[in-house]
Amino acid sequence: MNNDLKQEQIARINIYALISRIMIGEIDEGLLKSIEEDENILSFFPTFKDWKRRKEHSSKDLIERYLNVDFTNLFLLHLIPYESFYMREDQMLETGGDNPVQAIFNAFEFKVELDKARVMASDHIGVELEFMYELCKAELKALEDDNMEMAKQLSQLQYGFMKDHILEWMPMYLLNVKSEAGTAFYFDAADLALEFIMSDFEYLTELKNSGYNYPV
Amino acid sequence: MYLQSRRTFLKGAAFSVAGVAIAKGVFATDAKAESVTDSKFTNTPKTLSFYPDQSEWDSFKELDGTDWKRGGIERHGVRSAENPDGIQVNDYTIVPTVCSNCEAGCGLTAWVNKNDFDKGVLTVRKYMGNPLHTGSRGRNCAKGYAVTSQMYDPDRIPFPIKRAPGSKRGEGKWVRVTWDEAMAVIGKKMHDTLKVGDEISKKSIMYHVGRPNENGFGPRVPQSLGIDGYDSHTNICSAGAREGTIQWANDDRNSPDWANADLIFLQSSHAADAGHYFQQSAGYIADARKRGAKMVVIDPRMSNSAGMADLWIPTWPGTEAALYLYLANRILNEKKKDGSDIVKHEYVKNWMNWDRLMANKDYLQKMIGYGYISKMPKDDSYESFIELAKELYAPYTKEFVVKECRLEGMEYKLDELWELFVPAGAKIASYLWRAGAIGHRGGWMNTRAGFLPLALVGAMRGDIGGVGMHHWHEISVAGKGDKATVAGVHPPKTDAWNELAWPPEYPIATYEMGFMLPQIMMDDEWHKKWTKKGLKIPKSMAVYVPRMHNPLWINPDGFRWMEALKREDKFELTFNLSPTWSETNWYCDYVLPVGLAGERNDQQSTPSKPEQRIEFRQAVLRVAAEKSGWKPKDPTRATLEAHMKFGLGEVWEESEFWPNLIMHHVDPDGSLGIAKYWASKKDPSRCVTVPEYFDEAFKLLPKLKAEATKLYKGEEYPIYSYMRDHGAWTEKTDVYKPQEEELEFDGTYYHAHGHKYAKNEVTKDEFGALWVDDGNFKKSIGVDVDGKLHEGFHTLSKKLEFFSEWLADEWKWPEYAVPIYPKNDAESEKMIHLVTQVHHKHMKGDNEFALNTIYRLPYNIHTRSVNSKHLMEISQNHNPIWIYTKDAEKLGIKRGDAVKVQIQDTLTGIKSGYFIAMAVPTEATRPGVLACSHHAGRWKLQDSVKIPGFEHTLGIMSLGSPKVSMTNDGKIGTMTTTEGIHPHKAWQFKEYNKDLEDIWWNGLSGAWQNAVAPCHPDPIAGNHGWHQKVILSKAGADEKIGNIYVDYESNFKVYKAWRDQLTRPLTAADKLRRPYHIKRPVKPSQKAYEFNIKDV
Repeated sequence: MNNDLKQEQIARINIYALISRIMIGEIDEGLLKSIEEDENILSFFPTFKDWKRRKEHSSKDLIERYLNVDFTNLFLLHLIPYESFYMREDQMLETGGDNPVQAIFNAFEFKVELDKARVMASDHIGVELEFMYELCKAELKALEDDNMEMAKQLSQLQYGFMKDHILEWMPMYLLNVKSEAGTAFYFDAADLALEFIMSDFEYLTELKNSGYNYPV
Repeated sequence: MYLQSRRTFLKGAAFSVAGVAIAKGVFATDAKAESVTDSKFTNTPKTLSFYPDQSEWDSFKELDGTDWKRGGIERHGVRSAENPDGIQVNDYTIVPTVCSNCEAGCGLTAWVNKNDFDKGVLTVRKYMGNPLHTGSRGRNCAKGYAVTSQMYDPDRIPFPIKRAPGSKRGEGKWVRVTWDEAMAVIGKKMHDTLKVGDEISKKSIMYHVGRPNENGFGPRVPQSLGIDGYDSHTNICSAGAREGTIQWANDDRNSPDWANADLIFLQSSHAADAGHYFQQSAGYIADARKRGAKMVVIDPRMSNSAGMADLWIPTWPGTEAALYLYLANRILNEKKKDGSDIVKHEYVKNWMNWDRLMANKDYLQKMIGYGYISKMPKDDSYESFIELAKELYAPYTKEFVVKECRLEGMEYKLDELWELFVPAGAKIASYLWRAGAIGHRGGWMNTRAGFLPLALVGAMRGDIGGVGMHHWHEISVAGKGDKATVAGVHPPKTDAWNELAWPPEYPIATYEMGFMLPQIMMDDEWHKKWTKKGLKIPKSMAVYVPRMHNPLWINPDGFRWMEALKREDKFELTFNLSPTWSETNWYCDYVLPVGLAGERNDQQSTPSKPEQRIEFRQAVLRVAAEKSGWKPKDPTRATLEAHMKFGLGEVWEESEFWPNLIMHHVDPDGSLGIAKYWASKKDPSRCVTVPEYFDEAFKLLPKLKAEATKLYKGEEYPIYSYMRDHGAWTEKTDVYKPQEEELEFDGTYYHAHGHKYAKNEVTKDEFGALWVDDGNFKKSIGVDVDGKLHEGFHTLSKKLEFFSEWLADEWKWPEYAVPIYPKNDAESEKMIHLVTQVHHKHMKGDNEFALNTIYRLPYNIHTRSVNSKHLMEISQNHNPIWIYTKDAEKLGIKRGDAVKVQIQDTLTGIKSGYFIAMAVPTEATRPGVLACSHHAGRWKLQDSVKIPGFEHTLGIMSLGSPKVSMTNDGKIGTMTTTEGIHPHKAWQFKEYNKDLEDIWWNGLSGAWQNAVAPCHPDPIAGNHGWHQKVILSKAGADEKIGNIYVDYESNFKVYKAWRDQLTRPLTAADKLRRPYHIKRPVKPSQKAYEFNIKDV
């Protein structure tokens, strides 16, 4: 397959993996180390890179005293990272099997391990982003196998999932996170996620408009 | 516009770690099931308030929770013989009950799985809310949902245990006994005591009750024994606030209408955080705020509710009264923007007892003498009273409050308070409770003064959105199942007065002085003094019975409790009716395991809104089994049998235990005249059963009786059956201002409070109150206001008592008979009884602080939730000490530092010891005030006990308490933590405790501060002043968080100083033990109130 396409696809996989992981649970020392030691990753966190606290504290302290506190505020207590909260008129979470996102996962024989994810429902921001990660991975595999029809279907699915779900609510949530974040890390993470999903939807739209004419 | 180009994101391809290593990986693949459209099950309930209709509760089928949320039935379909991989369907009997953790008494439903009933298995799979409970409305807090983890606690005591023969109390050697063996020994001891029949014997058995969560059954027990032996925990909990309410309205506490208020006015961490009646109150407060109501929280600590309030005023702890009198001053002396008066004159004139004050010239002269007013009023008119009040409260200026409450820099908050207070008018709902009232000497005045501004604006009328009174909204019938018994009547009042609970130094203590029982019992000098004066006081307690109570741990001066309970010459036989392991258990002779929320039979009533409602707590396994056709061998022990049969263990409860104990062991031949109060009318050879007793008790509610007899026509116990199936009943809604109800007079009789009085028995005094004879005393039954007769408040004047005449005249505290607070240093010295022991005048150095100890953790309850896995995962026995950031900086204290917190009494200057705590600098406590909840800091001496002959080792608080080592030489006590909480495995209830190996908390960040605190009761209300002056320093290298050191000899000196320097004890000139008109639990006869001693 075309190397540019491959690089693009790997980049998409990695960024979806990164932002889904950050949004789904508290950061751990391993991930923080990966971010800080990789210039490419760290470049996505410009404010955090120069953040005074980062230089003053050990990773453990930074996580326990600042990052986890901020995560709790942004993802558990005061902002609601679930699609149904934004989409339902009554602003209630849909935690049961009638959740439309759950229905999509069912259709593709995906089951969300809610206990592992430690979330209430399948339409959590971290789960939706990880779903995109899974689809991107599958698309890459299809491209590597030269199964262009499957790649097209997977890309169509990504386009549809973003249009009908992710873009319907996630930008608003991420803007709120940027506004409420108490640490440079989560400010940057929200900024990264916001910019990336907007950009990625543009990419998927262009691909769709080109009739899925993947570069060869 | 995007800040980053797509090209930038291509850097993602060059990550040194692949996405697969980063992603959480929350997806698993799982095949989808075929269509299941014909199933009755749906993927999601249609609304969040989903509950099955009550008619389906006996058999309600639901998909198993372990899988149905992961995709619903579309995943695998419903399990059947043809589809073994489908989701399990559970057949539930849904049994209503009531939470027993805090006093809110929220409705619960136990979902009892009866799939395997035929195999002898019944288990409660979950507890949910009860939608028929009109207070809690189907909702619960974390503690309610944690009841499953309490029921199937891996350390549940599985059978009665007894101190091993030959061992001493506290050695930790136990043997297994049966309930019958325990009852035989205990019953004989009680029999032998009561058989003596003299005054001493009637004071030698004590039933010491923790949070009762029931309305009258407990008090009936000692009353039926003919003793004065009931002892509440209340004076460590809420006596201050109650005293303030008693003086205003002769009611136990107020009852706000949160939902309809325009201003929620809260003192301390209460109602919206925890306490009365937390989850229900918080819900109604949330409803009110959604409607636009504002919320003010007055608390030195930023509690959860303070954090969400429109205004947080962090007054110095214990000075709240100054703030309230400042409000009173402005209400009296200022006008509304339209020029009208802020005072609601029509209400104040008719319903406050100003007229008695104005008529009492002696007292007015005294007020001049005290410097409260400068001259006698010109006449007795209402207008002159208002002028007097204006002068009385004029000194409580903004400048004064800022200085007294230490609000420098926060003056604007007082302006904001005023802007919120006045527009709310009479629609202000308030609970002036918790720390401000219980934590301080004089704390009661914070409630007394706080009700004044509310009364002046008419909010105390108890109308819509205002403040009502507790007894208007509470129903107590649990003690009244008398007609089910052979006696058919209520047991008579005893003629004895127990000085161990009601000592003569504290005649107007709100409740019993139970928290200082060891101080009294061990003080031979005190005993000798009062005996010499002519009182008959036992030197020892024949039988001491804590009930769901942990007095050794929760009360101040814990080492003295330990010393006392170890003394077999002082406490001859002790047994704890305890659902969990506790520190007190360790020092008792017997531990008798009793039930929690779904394992007891109690009537409860919680006044959380203006209605009258009862709830029925039930033994849910018994009820579910009986509904499935199971029958007990002995109907008087049905609950015990059900628990044994269905795997909970030998867990019993009081409404079956006491009747059995009394009838078969205390008075087996009826010669003591006691058995008849518990013998069944239906079958006098046995005691009453739960259905018999509670059917008669519930029958006292006419509307419930009518509805139940209609629905359960033909049933033997229709009212019981109704409550068994519904769990809650609302007898009356919209109960507003009942004091203004018309008092009926038919020309011959006055009809008041369910009694009728002949015209010639009733006299009217000059203030309009109607009086009748009440034995040797008089009581008022109603009041004439403006030519109309009304029921009135419960006070003697039948009005709100701005002037507490009884306190001024017979009860020796005239200077505090109106809402008042010292205005300067000289008054502060003179009025020491009103000045908190942690007043800022006592804080001299940067390292001296007031310690705020009174705030409940919303997800924990003092002692009975200690081993709830879910609650302990949140609370972890963690009680750090909060310190204001700048105070911490000054002392070089950082987050996580171990700090030494030394307690010093400010009356005597005596230092009593210290505890080591973990410091957390925060902006959420005010400067100069530390915060450390006294509700955590549990301990145990051993991880487990081995019971001879029993194959398993019984764990002790393995989820909630670290292990400690202790020294205790009779004067000095020390404690050092030795080991934290570990992951482990359960030997019982394994299905519910699969995750014990995942325990991640160690419980090592709490300290038993209660042991260090000296016992020092307020001289008037009798509440323990929980707050302490402390001296803070960094802990030494060898001092670990959790360590304590107590000189409890010094603590005793503090106790004696407070008692001897501050109280005004009864003397030979006094004729009564206590004012007869104010409440006393298990009120004895008028004869018992008579007081006759000689001065020697």
